[in-house]
Amino acid sequence: MNCDFVLTTCPYCGCGCNFYLQVIDGKAVGVVPCKTHPVSKGTLCIKGWNAHQFVHDEKRLTKPLIKKSGRFEEVSWDEALDYTAKRMLEIKEKTGPDSFGFLSSAKCTNEENYLLMKLSRGVMGTNNVDHCARL
Amino acid sequence: MIDKVRQLVVDLLDSGRADAVLALANVHANVQPYLYKKGDSLDSLALWPKYSMGPILKSIQAAQPDMKLAVVARGCDDRALVELAKRGQIDLNNVQIIGLACTADEATECECANPYPANIDVGNKVDGVASTDLLAELKGKSYDDRLIFWKQAFDKCIKCYGCRNACPLCICEECILEDDSWVKAGEIPPPFPIFHLIRAYHLSDKCVECGECQNSCPMDIPLTSLYALIRNEFNELFDYIPGAEIDRKSPLVTSLEEDPIREETA
Amino acid sequence: MAGLVASFGSGAMTNSIDEFEDADCILITGSNTTENHPLIANRILRAQEKGAKVIVIDPRKTQIGDLADIYARQNLGSDVAWLNGLINVIISEGWYDKEFVSGRTEGFEELKAKVADYTPDKIEQISGIPAATIKQIAEAYAKAENGSIVYCMGITQHISGTDNVMSLANLAMVTGNVGKRSTGVNPLRGQNNVQGACDLGALPNVFTGYQAVINDELRAKFEKAWGVKLDGKVGQTIMEMMNNAHDGKLAGMYVMAENPMLSDPDINHVREALENLDFLVVQDIFMTETAQLADVVLPGTTYAEKDGTITNTDRTVQRCRKAIEPIGDSKPDWEILALLGQKMGISNFDYNSPEDVYKEIMAVTPIYAGISYERIENETLHWPCPTADHPGTLFLHSGTFSRGLGALKSIDYREPAEMPDNDYPMQLTTGRMMFHFHTGTMTRNSPALHKEVKESYVEVNPSDAKEQGIVEDEKISIASRRGQIEAKARITNKVGRGVVFIPFHFVEGAANVLTNPALDPVAKIPEYKVCAVKVEKI
Ligand code: SF4
Ligand code: SF4
Ligand code: SF4
Repeated sequence: MNCDFVLTTCPYCGCGCNFYLQVIDGKAVGVVPCKTHPVSKGTLCIKGWNAHQFVHDEKRLTKPLIKKSGRFEEVSWDEALDYTAKRMLEIKEKTGPDSFGFLSSAKCTNEENYLLMKLSRGVMGTNNVDHCARL
Repeated sequence: MIDKVRQLVVDLLDSGRADAVLALANVHANVQPYLYKKGDSLDSLALWPKYSMGPILKSIQAAQPDMKLAVVARGCDDRALVELAKRGQIDLNNVQIIGLACTADEATECECANPYPANIDVGNKVDGVASTDLLAELKGKSYDDRLIFWKQAFDKCIKCYGCRNACPLCICEECILEDDSWVKAGEIPPPFPIFHLIRAYHLSDKCVECGECQNSCPMDIPLTSLYALIRNEFNELFDYIPGAEIDRKSPLVTSLEEDPIREETA
Repeated sequence: MAGLVASFGSGAMTNSIDEFEDADCILITGSNTTENHPLIANRILRAQEKGAKVIVIDPRKTQIGDLADIYARQNLGSDVAWLNGLINVIISEGWYDKEFVSGRTEGFEELKAKVADYTPDKIEQISGIPAATIKQIAEAYAKAENGSIVYCMGITQHISGTDNVMSLANLAMVTGNVGKRSTGVNPLRGQNNVQGACDLGALPNVFTGYQAVINDELRAKFEKAWGVKLDGKVGQTIMEMMNNAHDGKLAGMYVMAENPMLSDPDINHVREALENLDFLVVQDIFMTETAQLADVVLPGTTYAEKDGTITNTDRTVQRCRKAIEPIGDSKPDWEILALLGQKMGISNFDYNSPEDVYKEIMAVTPIYAGISYERIENETLHWPCPTADHPGTLFLHSGTFSRGLGALKSIDYREPAEMPDNDYPMQLTTGRMMFHFHTGTMTRNSPALHKEVKESYVEVNPSDAKEQGIVEDEKISIASRRGQIEAKARITNKVGRGVVFIPFHFVEGAANVLTNPALDPVAKIPEYKVCAVKVEKI
């Protein structure tokens, strides 16, 4: 049996509380506030306290999907990414880089925002990249 | 002190008397609960700030009931473990307690009256904090003024349930704080005084004065003072201290027919 | 953030969270702080405990309004007016910081002339805040040794959002409350990594660290780092993308972990726009309303299944650590993007870990250059932190502003884009609440949160409810020029007469069916916070 406590940052508001995800045998089972963290100092709000709950929700997406004649079908990662890459490059070719747009996310990490931004600017060749935070 | 704890942990693991030891560790420059196993380096072992060990021990036992566990326990942990065992939440037969007495500074920080476990393995017993200024002030107030004080305090409550979640003795599977017929759901602050009084009364025969509720309150509400007032009354009525004696049941764990209050006053 | 950039030259929270605790006066507007930023509310209430005055100006009297020393309810969208009014009182009473104004700012005389029109009596007419209260607030804030301003979406989500923010900056500069501890103008970021998304250049006009794409030198730097040629014109904002998609001018979109079908104003328009695309990719953890419209859905992971960094609202870069393996065949978002980049034939997209990516970020981003994974194991670092031995920056603009002199902007009050009329006589304002988050993707799948609030609701003032015979929990209809929804009434004094409030987290009773997509001309933020509606019994 393994029981770990993994220090991480709360996925909700911008306060940036830290807590430990309690992981028993590979499953996130609970949250323990971090007492030494400078912002949260051992406290959390109700969202932080329950931040493990949606992680193992059975409605989570677990397979790449491609819509074929109006219905989603499970496909392999290779097929999904090959198809996506092909369609994106076709659009770039046909109607130009600026006919494509990227929406990044305030729920993703810095690294992920950087990569999406780089994909948009460096690969597709467009500055059409934004995120929903202005909303 | 820490070296002595380290030695005890190593001995337990190496001898096979424990499969794992629940303690604290310094990881990523923060202190966290940690389940040490045989062969782990104990350089990271830490003692302070305390984390409540009872609920973690309970979750480990739930996942693997037959594990031979040891736990580094302070006075409040020790009492919580006893009270949890009495209430069928954990099984202490498989658990060895490494009793750690708190230092005077730690006891002051916690405002703790009993800063030592029943059996001390490490550290020396120091005097607890008998009462606090706030408690004295509250006792001096009329009931009306106390009500005003608590109303103002609880106006800040954001219903995080941190007090409940952090409490080692909040053990109900269905918490009536989440029952809409007692406490209207979705309101902030939650209805006064029902939300807070339910918790206070539910803990009157369980509270082991660990202070975790107050430490977990993001709104700095002096919860332990409220619980202390109720606990003291309870103690006077029944001469019962939660977590003190393993073989004495709480006087509130009883059937309605026995009705202890009427017997005492009759 | 455009407002703060114009005034100060930099668009982030000027001060850090712990500093609130030592402020003498904290003016909060457009922020439901206890519900949406609880740990910041904690510091503010600690300051109050130590004697600080807490002032709340908000159309909704939420918990922080109840706890405040002074609370004022302004009419929706009247912020420039009351802010000009405060500044007028402060200047004419001689409570302004003459030294700061002359040494560190420009535009004072124009501002003084502009605000002279905004007398307390006139303010009372426009904003509904009593003249006496305006004076009381002006005095409390101006005379405080250290005054902090806190605001959130209630200020920015207006067509005058940029004006509102510049007016707050005016107020802070006129009183010398910026560039020192426990002061400043502090926007609270709603989602955990809004700051990071902006910092990392998920914006149409800047690369990482606010380096402009139109700047040839900076662009050349990125061209060299990435080994590609880059476009030098500013791209489209999300609202422009939606409009272009709607008009058939955008062929495809890639949406990562966002749900514009719930978060964007005028949802019916968004649906038409997304349906109009030739190709839509959505990368998310649940089958959201937006994902349902996609051609390809890629399963990303939650925070629990990935490593990386997150930048919180006070510019602290913190770690997110992988706790469990990805569920099913899902992959962390960084890995999906790296794989896709490689498939698209780009050589420098082969990252092995988030730290790999982060090292590249440090190399091209001066404000992050000194913040490494290694350092944040032991240190709390707020950007800007340009070198490995730099201690980070708790508060910005000490000594000088990012743009040199602080710009005092002379601004006139403008009405919201849509005012009540005979057909739509009431006003709607929208927002978040404690128990749910953004579009509910995470919180509505969390039983403990769902249990608290299961469905959308609409807050109605008791007098309005009485007039229309609406009772608590009754399902009523709310309609705007863009659509109609139904929700249960909550009768409460939190909202004033003639105003209703709906949280925007729910698909059923989605507030954004009603909201007005009219944009702030600079920040391109839609006016979520006010539109005209009619409220009726069903
Ligand atoms: S626990 Fe609550 S206050 Fe803290 S970051 Fe998470 S959502 Fe924000
Ligand atoms: S009520 Fe508070 S002090 Fe008492 S046992 Fe629970 S957490 Fe500890
Ligand atoms: S911990 Fe504090 S804020 Fe949270 S529910 Fe308990 S009393 Fe309220």
